[in-house]
Amino acid sequence: MIDGVKQKGHFWTTESKLAYVLLIPGTIFLLLFMFYPIFYVFLMSLFKTSKLGKIVEFIGLGNFKYLTKIRDFWDVLGRSFIWTGFAVLIKTLFGIVIALLLNVDYRGRKVYRTLLILPWASSVPISVMLWQWVYNADFGLLNQTLKLLHITQNPPFWLAYPIPAFFAAIWVDIWIGIPFMSLVFLAGLQAIPKDLYEAAVVDGVNAIQKFRFVTLPLLKNLIVIATLLSILWTFNDFNTIYILTKGGPINTTDILITFIYKYSFNFLRFGPAAAMAVITFVILLAISIIYSRFYFKSEE
Amino acid sequence: MIAVSLLVAASFLLFFNGGTKEKGKAAEKAEISIIWAEYDGLTPEFADQMKKGFEEKYPNATLTVISTPWNQVHDRLITSLGGDNPPDMSIIGTRWVLEFKDQLEPPEKWVSKATIDNIQPGAKEAVVDGVLYALPDAIGPRIMFYRTDLIDTPPVTFEDMLSIAQKVNNPPDIYGVGMSGKKYAELTEFVYYFYGAGGDFFETTSDGKLGKCTVNSPAGVKALTFMNDLVNKYKVTQPGVTNYTRDDTQDLMISGNLAMMMSGGFTGAILKKQNVSFGWAPSQMPYFKGSKPSSLLVTDSLAFFNTSKNKEMVGKFLDYFYSDEVQIPFQKLVGFPPVTKTAGKDPFFQTPVYKEMVKANAVAKGWPLMAEWSEATNTIWDAIGKVFLGKASPQDALDDAAKQIDTMRGM
Repeated sequence: MIDGVKQKGHFWTTESKLAYVLLIPGTIFLLLFMFYPIFYVFLMSLFKTSKLGKIVEFIGLGNFKYLTKIRDFWDVLGRSFIWTGFAVLIKTLFGIVIALLLNVDYRGRKVYRTLLILPWASSVPISVMLWQWVYNADFGLLNQTLKLLHITQNPPFWLAYPIPAFFAAIWVDIWIGIPFMSLVFLAGLQAIPKDLYEAAVVDGVNAIQKFRFVTLPLLKNLIVIATLLSILWTFNDFNTIYILTKGGPINTTDILITFIYKYSFNFLRFGPAAAMAVITFVILLAISIIYSRFYFKSEE
Repeated sequence: MIAVSLLVAASFLLFFNGGTKEKGKAAEKAEISIIWAEYDGLTPEFADQMKKGFEEKYPNATLTVISTPWNQVHDRLITSLGGDNPPDMSIIGTRWVLEFKDQLEPPEKWVSKATIDNIQPGAKEAVVDGVLYALPDAIGPRIMFYRTDLIDTPPVTFEDMLSIAQKVNNPPDIYGVGMSGKKYAELTEFVYYFYGAGGDFFETTSDGKLGKCTVNSPAGVKALTFMNDLVNKYKVTQPGVTNYTRDDTQDLMISGNLAMMMSGGFTGAILKKQNVSFGWAPSQMPYFKGSKPSSLLVTDSLAFFNTSKNKEMVGKFLDYFYSDEVQIPFQKLVGFPPVTKTAGKDPFFQTPVYKEMVKANAVAKGWPLMAEWSEATNTIWDAIGKVFLGKASPQDALDDAAKQIDTMRGM
């Protein structure tokens, strides 16, 4: 114990030396491939850039001011929040319900668990391409099914109009994200001691009360972490929108991340694109800080 | 312990020694790379054959073919140039030459005179300030494809096209005419109607430069109003047009659901390749009554980057690429008229589709050559989308687009 206290105060001990050496490759990797690009994007946001993204001239907040002149920018920003909020909410609700169902002991449970993981285990671009085909107005599975079942002979054009296209894209994001949420919640449910439920039964509580007073409080921390991760991923979900709609029709499914891509790689305006990336970074950082405060407060 | 250390040390020595030898071998080889556009009709085997043929001819060369869907070539190129890792060559839309001019190596210095002279003079469009910055690999005026089992005489004017479309329209089996309303790398289909109404995207200033945007001219409004009427008033196009790119519309033609569509020679190549069960034929692009016949001429080029470390070998590749050995099978697959004089004499290219394209060449005009064209295209696409979705009138949408384009260009 005394040795331990002594060692704690020393930066350069025999053990820590090895640790530092082992950390060097990872640190170099992080500095090169994570911190340097982030730093460069911050730099680009304050500079005029060439068509190939090279820094040309310092313009201060010029790129940020330029964003206010882009007519669609505020719509896209607002849509990014709606997209994220709606998708994360549905993923969380579905995730909890599916986890509760998979936590019940019944025959074939393992098969369902395996099937559940499939959307998460598949490559996202391939999944989205499959959904693109599902939504195809002429040859798609969804419209053919609606016709075959005589639900409608004039099924909607899912990706042709702004509102259906937006919700079609959200659904694909939800579909891909549900397995992660379900599995995290399932792991949480299985960690809840059974005797708590038995005690609750003795106290005469019904199923809803069991969920409200036992399950939910004990899942709270996991819900916080899972939704935080989901917010970060959903806000930055480029694949789904880019592959499915490319932001269309008339930019009505664009969110910040696809807009950044458009401005950088299609229009070669790397400065404003970097400014948008900085805004995205700040938004996500703020959300992460709020979440972590909430999480650590509840830990205390 | 000592034995293990020796073994590890020996392995390292062997590894580095071997590595040096390999490096030595690689140094003898000239490695060149190309971003290769996956044109409709082109098979992956063709690229393999081209690579094999070139490497057999020049055993000291290695050709890396970076196969890329045409719609993504621009993005890939920007990423590689921005990352200081450009390929030696790339297929580009000729209209991108202004964007990349500073990175391009004029090819004439490295390619034989015989090759340059064999390329059709009219196809050499990538000229800026008198310097040829890239060689054409594909030229194609747009033409019309129509179903001969449904239509006896192809339309001459857009007004004729409408009346034929109304006659043959029988949804959901047959739609009168195809229309794409989803953003694509190029501004189809608007440009067909716009040029057919005698429109030009920009005014030309007295010094020959592109001035203010004129997409909102009477010709532009006429074109977009007509397109919107086809979609929303007469309903002779496939429904949900904002969900269809040029490729999706082409799929409808191939599946037999369209009576007419305007496209490039590649559609003819695919219809032929798919051996479709219905009769079809090419014809000239329609134009509006009172206007002159017109068409869109699209040229793609093979660009050569000044960062290439093997310029001489790139020159040799270009000589090889423009030889009949490569050009004839390449142009046969993609369905474009040949860019070289000698390939143009091949009997394969004396068919109706090629004849129509040669005829259309005489009246066709290209895209405006300007650096901001990608962003301008995007803005016009938005205007078209708004009209199709009933969010703006053609006049308002195009006025707004023209204003945005002028602002973007600092006018």
